[in-house]
Amino acid sequence: MISERVKSNLKGTFSESILPKIGLFLLVSIVFMAVFAPVLATHDPTRTGYFTEHGTEYPPIGHEFTTQVAQEGEFAEVTVESSSEHVLGTNNVGQDVYSRFVYGARVSILVAIMATTLALLIGVPVGLTAGYYGGRVDDALMRIADTMLAFPALVLALALIGVFGESPVQVPDPIVMAGFADGMPETIPLPGTVTIVSALVIWVWFARVARGEALSLRNQEYVKASKSFGMSDRQILLKHVLPNSLTPIIVLATIQVAVIILLEASLAYLGFSGTTLSWGYEIERGQDILRTRPWVSILPGIGIMLAVISVNLLGDWFRDALDPNIEGSERGA
Amino acid sequence: MSIGKFLVRRILQGVFVIWGVVTILFGLRAVSPGDPATLMLGEGATQELVEHVREEEGLNEPIYAQYVDYLQGLVVGDFGYSWQSNRDVEAMVIERVPATVELAVAATIVAVLIAVPLGVISATRRNQPTDYGATLFSLLGISTPNFWLGLMLILVFGVWFGIPHPTLETSPASLAGISVPYPRSVGYSFFDFPTGRRAVGFSEAFVAVVRDRSFSELGVWLQYIALPAITLGTYFTALITRLTRSGMIDELGKPYVTATRAKGLPAVLIRYKHVLRNTMIPIVTVLGLQMGTLMGGAVITETVFNWPGLGLRLIDALHMRDWPLMQGIIVFIAVAFVVINIVVDGLYTYLNPQVSDE
Repeated sequence: MISERVKSNLKGTFSESILPKIGLFLLVSIVFMAVFAPVLATHDPTRTGYFTEHGTEYPPIGHEFTTQVAQEGEFAEVTVESSSEHVLGTNNVGQDVYSRFVYGARVSILVAIMATTLALLIGVPVGLTAGYYGGRVDDALMRIADTMLAFPALVLALALIGVFGESPVQVPDPIVMAGFADGMPETIPLPGTVTIVSALVIWVWFARVARGEALSLRNQEYVKASKSFGMSDRQILLKHVLPNSLTPIIVLATIQVAVIILLEASLAYLGFSGTTLSWGYEIERGQDILRTRPWVSILPGIGIMLAVISVNLLGDWFRDALDPNIEGSERGA
Repeated sequence: MSIGKFLVRRILQGVFVIWGVVTILFGLRAVSPGDPATLMLGEGATQELVEHVREEEGLNEPIYAQYVDYLQGLVVGDFGYSWQSNRDVEAMVIERVPATVELAVAATIVAVLIAVPLGVISATRRNQPTDYGATLFSLLGISTPNFWLGLMLILVFGVWFGIPHPTLETSPASLAGISVPYPRSVGYSFFDFPTGRRAVGFSEAFVAVVRDRSFSELGVWLQYIALPAITLGTYFTALITRLTRSGMIDELGKPYVTATRAKGLPAVLIRYKHVLRNTMIPIVTVLGLQMGTLMGGAVITETVFNWPGLGLRLIDALHMRDWPLMQGIIVFIAVAFVVINIVVDGLYTYLNPQVSDE
């Protein structure tokens, strides 16, 4: 399936530049954080009420802030100090910022991977079939694709969520179930609707690329030859067309993972994700107190950014290594 | 193919796409939970009243009759009326268009002004510090969630640098510590309550400059739009920088560049007149296709900054489950997308003889 040439290209581009290494390192760290969130977290991320004696949020370690609090019927200015209990402080409902940051990676990564997989499973078969057979099926697909693309992704996602609601799915946490992290929540809420909706929004990109590949492959000599040997269309699609279309599909899938991380964050920020355990939601929560307690919003944003950067760097690496056109053009310069 | 034939074909395709968008939205509304009459009247309405409204609105008719009704309305520009405010949807859409167009155009201008020179410099000084800087910038730009970027801009410029700026005003509700429903904005409080209009729009500022030779309105407008435009424009700045860089590198390797160089043309002239021009043609097409991303970004940016455009109204409509308004706004956005892409493709065909010969 993956040829030797591709493998050596991947290796070559990986060792030539530092960027794929950074991307891989970031992604591995984030996935590690997501998987072992219950072990890495210091507090139950859903537990509220970690406030200081003044009833305010904790600032991150090494920081302090002054604020007005009511004392004996009067307002008094107090200086709030950080606590070693809460490394990165707490948010406006008294949740531990660090623990929520760690758990936020789970939602982000899981939604992105599941939605991309789902979109692949819908888009690739549809696209391959349409491109291979051509004719009416193909025309219909292209018109559907045009229509889907006339919706901005975020707008389409919002409209679909308006229909399906925004219920989170409670998924049991294997790490906690296995007894590695006592006191952590036994289930994590995953935004199920957001996952499905994201897949419905992006499948059409996979369909378009797969169609283009099938269209060009169906006239290749070896495909025609297989047909004359009596191979069925189904066998040809699976044995010849699919494996040879994989390269651009893989590149696209990487880009789409980044798109979905941003989409999920945006939906959560707008309050449509259904789960509160998400980086996007955390940014929204912190924005009311942005001026005095900015740490609540800053950190989750960095999380989203690093996740997207890691995936984009890997996407660039795959594209440079796998796409012969781009490689050739780089050489020509 | 002649331009005329091309246009007719593209417009027919466009009409088909719009019909698809309208139909999908109508289908979504039909399967969405909740009875429209109840949504219109509120929870406390009597059964009698609900029945009366259902009858009056044609909600008791079969779904295909409602669909035909809705399509007929759209053809003559009647988008129905909002379930929440009882106002005409057309009016509610049109009054919000200028703010969104201003924001989108300003963001595009910011993006092109920064990205094109940056991409050219990056391509002509490959593997030098400037190139690495530009590459890093564009990587960060396409990876930063724009709502977070907007908040950080407010934090850095408004709070830390203390630059006097309309963004320093928080909305009256959040200033009073009242918890307000979504969408919550920390940005501008230039909704002139209760009319909900902006303090100053571009048209007012423009009129003031031309008629009264007064630049203060324009100054205010620029103050308002600067941060939202940067927030929305950053992704596109990054994207165009990348495209310009790789496009320029491609073009610079072509024989005609060597030829013009041999002819003795100055390098700057070659770069900006010949190479950049050829690079820009495909970039314009990509930008046309990215209009959807721009509109999605506008929804978010408007929410962050309380910018009174279509996006903010769309979010309001979604939270209120106000389907006619939602449908109206989305159909409008889809029409804009289709029209812009027809114009872009037309320009492309016009500019590129290879395409029009086919």
